[in-house]
Amino acid sequence: MSDSDEKNGQSGIITLFFILGFIGSLLLGWIIFPELLYSKKEQPVAFNHALHNEEVANGCESCHFFREDGTFSGVPKLAQCVECHEEPIGVSEAELTFVTDYVAKGREVPWLIYSKQPDMVFFSHAAHVKMGKQDCVTCHGHIGESTSLKPYEENRFTGVSRDIWGGNIAGISMDSWDSMKMSDCDKCHKELTGRQTSVQTQRDACFVCHK
Amino acid sequence: MKDFHEKKYGMVIDLDKCTGCGSCMVACMSENNVPFKEDETKKRLSITWMKVYKFTNGKSFPETEVCYLPRPCMHCEGHGGHSPCVSVCPATATDYSTETGIVSQIYTRCFGCRYCMGACPYHARYFNWWDPVWPKGMEKQLSPNVSPRMRGIVEKCSFCYHRLQLAKEKAYSEGRREVRENEYQTSCTQGCPAGAITFGDLINPKHEVYKLKKDQNAFRLLERLGTNPKVYYISSREWVRRAGDNYLAHEKTGKKQNH
Amino acid sequence: MKIDRRSFLAFGVGGAVGTAITPLPWKLMDDSSIWSQNWPWTPVPLDGAINYQPSVCTLCKGGCGINVRKIDDRPVKIEGLKANPINKGGICLLGLSGLQLLYGEDNRVKSPLKRVGKRGSGKFKKISWQQAITEMVEKLGAIRLKAQSHTLACISETELGTTASLIGRFMTAFGSKNYIRTPSFLDSLEAAILKTTGTSAAQVAFDFENSDYILSFGSGLLEGWGSPVRMFMANSALEDKKGTLAQAEPRLSNTAAKADKWLPVNPGTEADLAFSMCAVIIQKALYNTNFTAAATGLEGFKSFVTANYAPEKIAKSTGIKAEVITRIATSFAKAKNPVAVCGKGSGDTPGSLKESLAIVCLNALVGNINKKGGLWLTSEPDYIKWPEFINDDASTAGLQKNRIDSAQSGKYKDTRFLLNNFADAVLDDYEYPVNALMVYRANPMYTMPDSEKVKKAFEKIPFVMSFSSYMDETALYSDLILPDHVFLERYEDIPFASGYTKPYIGLARPVVDPLFDTMNTGDVIIQIAKRISNSIAGAFPWKDYETCLKETLGSMWAQLESQGFMTDQSYTPPSTVNFTFPDKIADAPAIEGDRGKYLLTLVPVDSIRINCGYIANPPFATKTVDDTVLFENDILVEINPATAKSLGLRDRKKAVLETPKGKASVRVFITDGIMPGVVGMPKGLGHFGYDSYIADKGVNVNALIGSLEDPETGLDAAWGIRAKLSPA
Repeated sequence: MSDSDEKNGQSGIITLFFILGFIGSLLLGWIIFPELLYSKKEQPVAFNHALHNEEVANGCESCHFFREDGTFSGVPKLAQCVECHEEPIGVSEAELTFVTDYVAKGREVPWLIYSKQPDMVFFSHAAHVKMGKQDCVTCHGHIGESTSLKPYEENRFTGVSRDIWGGNIAGISMDSWDSMKMSDCDKCHKELTGRQTSVQTQRDACFVCHK
Repeated sequence: MKDFHEKKYGMVIDLDKCTGCGSCMVACMSENNVPFKEDETKKRLSITWMKVYKFTNGKSFPETEVCYLPRPCMHCEGHGGHSPCVSVCPATATDYSTETGIVSQIYTRCFGCRYCMGACPYHARYFNWWDPVWPKGMEKQLSPNVSPRMRGIVEKCSFCYHRLQLAKEKAYSEGRREVRENEYQTSCTQGCPAGAITFGDLINPKHEVYKLKKDQNAFRLLERLGTNPKVYYISSREWVRRAGDNYLAHEKTGKKQNH
Repeated sequence: MKIDRRSFLAFGVGGAVGTAITPLPWKLMDDSSIWSQNWPWTPVPLDGAINYQPSVCTLCKGGCGINVRKIDDRPVKIEGLKANPINKGGICLLGLSGLQLLYGEDNRVKSPLKRVGKRGSGKFKKISWQQAITEMVEKLGAIRLKAQSHTLACISETELGTTASLIGRFMTAFGSKNYIRTPSFLDSLEAAILKTTGTSAAQVAFDFENSDYILSFGSGLLEGWGSPVRMFMANSALEDKKGTLAQAEPRLSNTAAKADKWLPVNPGTEADLAFSMCAVIIQKALYNTNFTAAATGLEGFKSFVTANYAPEKIAKSTGIKAEVITRIATSFAKAKNPVAVCGKGSGDTPGSLKESLAIVCLNALVGNINKKGGLWLTSEPDYIKWPEFINDDASTAGLQKNRIDSAQSGKYKDTRFLLNNFADAVLDDYEYPVNALMVYRANPMYTMPDSEKVKKAFEKIPFVMSFSSYMDETALYSDLILPDHVFLERYEDIPFASGYTKPYIGLARPVVDPLFDTMNTGDVIIQIAKRISNSIAGAFPWKDYETCLKETLGSMWAQLESQGFMTDQSYTPPSTVNFTFPDKIADAPAIEGDRGKYLLTLVPVDSIRINCGYIANPPFATKTVDDTVLFENDILVEINPATAKSLGLRDRKKAVLETPKGKASVRVFITDGIMPGVVGMPKGLGHFGYDSYIADKGVNVNALIGSLEDPETGLDAAWGIRAKLSPA
């Protein structure tokens, strides 16, 4: 082998290693990393939104209602469920589990909340739904039509639900409900309200959404 | 000139009525999840968003007189919302809202440089040198409406902004955009047993504070620094009004200054 | 082909380039900032439905309405109740700190406890309620068997209301008259009213809301006196109508600071000052002739005060110039609705009869007794009407014995309670020993003067039992603790508000389920009573406390339950009073301590920011205490710059304070707000019970002062003690 051959071979190896490193890191970053970053937990009770939606008179607000003081009740408490499920009313196994494990024992169901924001966030459902006339789907997607609950994924690092960053690990959101980071809130606020009440940022003021 | 604020929340404190009891301080602490330590006697390390100062006329017994002065955050407007602290914050952790006139502090955004503390002429800002620790059982008292703070950040009075958030929710759910005067009151205002504190929109002629701030005995602290604070004080005592700012011997207090 | 260093470098570079176009670094960067903003150890309070529950605060005798804000079932804040006529939405800092007294686990007694270590060592073992009640029954049963029923005593903050009445009934059925209430300024006023009007069932109240001139002799009207929030509101109302508050006090207290006129009177001469003002009013004929015409004894009173209390004569001893006395007396008498008031500090010392008589006479001269803006004699609440019961022989025998504290018989037959005699009575075995003591809502080990003597007395009592919810000093010295629920966990009727003019009943209600294994004291009493003997059981026909309470309140229950209080705002007192002016007044006892040895006078200082009653200051309240009162763990005593100079003391520096009762290490705070020669010492510090947020901070002023027996009432007339202060 000539010197140049050896050089070529050597550069080929270098290229190979570069490509190996390159592809390996892509695999790591795009596929393995998201798997490692999030822990997966099943909801304590298999819940069928679609089924319930058919049974109730008032859509989402039948269970996720506004309290008298304008605050939003969020995920229902056991007492609400018991209004109908004192005894099993269907034949599903999930309901039976629910009634025996929770209703009979008077235990609150430890629901895992996909859309839970960190503590410093103040979100007013009244402002968005009552005043802003936004519908639930805009932020929550079509969960109301789902027949089963997806696993709850939690960021191992921050403890925040995956839905806040969004399913797409690159942070690209296609639909309005795909992610709910501050930038998402801000984008909408800017587009829809055009308010510039913050002296520092010329956007909506910090205390609008923080507490 | 029309005020650039939509609302301009502020306070008028009647020092003739304030008895120095300290209820406002506790009303504030218990509303805002303010932590406490075993030893709170080093006052510069003691977090008191609302603090009652005691000062005298400097005369000797028995001509001595005492005045108590509750000091929340003044929510300075400065010029155009550039209050002393907001101007120096490198993290956009503190901000001025033209919607309310309130100077906000976002704890999670703050990285603890404490420039704002240096800039604040009222000592209204406090640094968390330690992580708060609640004695056994007492963390049950924490309110979910105010975010607890952590070590390494600055905190201060927010004019109980969360109460406006809640009042707005109620108004919205009733189809109103406007929050009524009595629906948004700070905890200290509500708690003051002497009724010395009045809170409301300083630019709304229907609000009590609008009238009170025009009282001939009304003054603001260090007014001449140009901080343009939103907390007014009323005292019928000349020496108290003089103590509110630096006056030369021949200067008189009173309304002649710009405001 | 050779894999060398460069290959690895290439791998690394490839990896770096690749990583840069994956979300990994950017996502991690974002996550790490979120992580560092939300430390897992920073608590996240649970959210839920906000709801309010009205109740009544029982942390002091103010009777304020409170509104407890809850998140679902969890109380998070106490606010004042707007609808309540006493505080109208206002609230004091103790009330605001109330949840700390509910949640603070390190202070709460969480289950019945039995002492295992030495008294005061704090070593207890947990026992069950059944065992606790059995222990009580056995101990008390044994005392009865030995025909010593009368040797049971009870100390309590109140004798009114259903729980206290149940205890009182138990004592009587058991066969002991020794139910002793802790002292109050009202005791001495009561005696003065009895002496001048012959009325014994009257409660003294002051119509501050309608007064335009309040003349106070050392009352800490803004320091926790009476119903504190009501007093703050009354002061603001006075401010609004441009009325006058004149405060006679050696120290520039909050009340003196807010007063239009501060009269820095020599401590202990307040009564002389008041009589001198009487002399001025009489001499200038400014008195209300309508009133005095209907009264008797004015002539005798006239000659008594003019002979002894002419302003010129007492100017020197009081330190108030004669013309000032004359001026204040004149403007007081000329005011439309003047009122004079006494009761030093927050009002937990009775003071001398002389002082109470002086202010009653001042009020009488201006004719404001039972008049708008004046001093009112209102009737005691009388809704507790329980059936009579039959005492058995053991209790009949016990009830024949005199009270251990010498009250209600002999020299002090008109005085109801004399706790100040208790320690001496125990130590000297007056007539009989005290074999058992129950303590309900009181902390005598801490609040009684002369702590050393009280401790000795406690050590001598074979069986001490406390109902305290908190690990206070008395609980620490008890053999058995049967913890009561705290005020937010139980029903309780509040029969009146201290110093308030209108009839008022409040109902404190459980706003939260009991957090610990505690039991309502009313229930404990009923259970013990049912087990000791049949005759005692007969006096307690109720199943439990709640049944008893509902039955007692009868038709009022429904309204109390829904609204939290009942009041008659249209009430006015009877307009005619048979008043007799006194023609001679016994001197108040002289201050304790040798003037030659002790150059200074020590006076206790009350502050609304430090609760000095049976409950220790909660952390929020302590946080508001100035560094001129408490610094680190040192108490600061106030002295005038002149005093400091003469003694070579420097501001904030350590000193030794000594009185005939004891010695303490303090720091001094030099201020012009106190007269020369007087040392002001904050009350409410120096706890050795409770948790580290209040324990071992400062010194308990009660360790340094003693009590003085008033010659006519026997009540504690002490207001201070001689003291000396020297650099450390």
